[in-house]
Amino acid sequence: MYYREIRYSRTKGAVMGKVKVKIIDTEQEWIVEISAPTSIKDILEKIGLSPEEYIVSKNGEVVPEDEEVSDGDTIILYPVVSGG
Amino acid sequence: MVNCSFCGRRAVYVSRALGKAYCKKHFLEYFDKKVRRTIRKYKMFSEKETIIVAVSGGKDSLALLHYLVKLSKRVPGWTIKALLIDEGIKGYREIAIQDFLRVVRELGVEYRIVRFKDEFGYTLDEIIEIGRRKGLPYHPCSYCGVFRRYLLNKAAREMGGTVLATAHNLDDVIQTYLMNIIKNSWEKIVRLGPVSGVAGHPRFVRKVKPFYEILEKESALYAVLNNLYPKFVECPYAQQSMRWYLRKYINKLEEMYPGTKYSMLRSLLRIISLLEDKADKILEGEIRSCRICGEPASHELCRACTYRLELGIMDEQGNIITNKLESK
Repeated sequence: MYYREIRYSRTKGAVMGKVKVKIIDTEQEWIVEISAPTSIKDILEKIGLSPEEYIVSKNGEVVPEDEEVSDGDTIILYPVVSGG
Repeated sequence: MVNCSFCGRRAVYVSRALGKAYCKKHFLEYFDKKVRRTIRKYKMFSEKETIIVAVSGGKDSLALLHYLVKLSKRVPGWTIKALLIDEGIKGYREIAIQDFLRVVRELGVEYRIVRFKDEFGYTLDEIIEIGRRKGLPYHPCSYCGVFRRYLLNKAAREMGGTVLATAHNLDDVIQTYLMNIIKNSWEKIVRLGPVSGVAGHPRFVRKVKPFYEILEKESALYAVLNNLYPKFVECPYAQQSMRWYLRKYINKLEEMYPGTKYSMLRSLLRIISLLEDKADKILEGEIRSCRICGEPASHELCRACTYRLELGIMDEQGNIITNKLESK
């Protein structure tokens, strides 16, 4: 399985929590550590994905990428780009 | 939490270009208004139409089919039918067909599936292999695009279609615009408008793009919110195309400068109106009938027949030549 452990801290300080990010129907999955209130957009940029290219769902609900995440959240990404 | 700019409920979408946030209800309203405005502005449909929707099984075309079927409930003179072209890419199209069948059955829409294998004797995978062995200079997307457009027009006409609706969205259109600037293909840019195929040939079916002003992200969101989002599979050939890179760059630009995409669309519409005045200098003469198949052509032969002759999969009389892959 394609799995990457990414450490991410926006400000200095202790880890506040972990967020799981997954692209639907693929095996691409990330665990992102956060140390301060962080938006989904920031997380996507940190792991090298363009927010323009995904519809985001947080814990099963569609949200804009400006939404903030907290410990234990699961982010599912729906690719916007057509398959072909 | 991000709140809807209109009702304060939880937002599902933020348009940075417009500076507004939308909840599910207001997003769907915004989407509907925008598509209806496009349809009206460019006079895409009249009161009586047999609309053939070109559906690939991807999210955009499933969204378009869903949207037009819903809209047709309010227009008694419209009949909607779905058309899927199965080019035969292994491990890709058969998955998309499952989503296509699920949605057409749910919507109760009449449909037709047309296969490269039946029409040309070979799947796209086989055609690419034949082209490679022959050393032809074409990209997989060139064969796919030429043969697909050929069959869409032909099958739409055979299905009694008065108009063919494709799910090209704003992103698709501006990517094609840039590609054709790079390739210096102004005759293709002239044809990139929201309505095309009006040239006076009896076998031409008029083509319209109701999602012309809809961003790819918006049509994807429409698909997700209406439970249409298909299983995500990528075309194995997509990453070999110039479009793939252009899309990345344009998306990056849109992130940095919101509104870039709308601005590019305005640029395209302006250039089309300027070029139309010079159409006689840009277009390659009269539309003719292909010497072999009789379909519309800008030369003696249509592009599909030219490719088939070059590949050696058809003779001069239009008969399919089989076993091309075995005679290595």
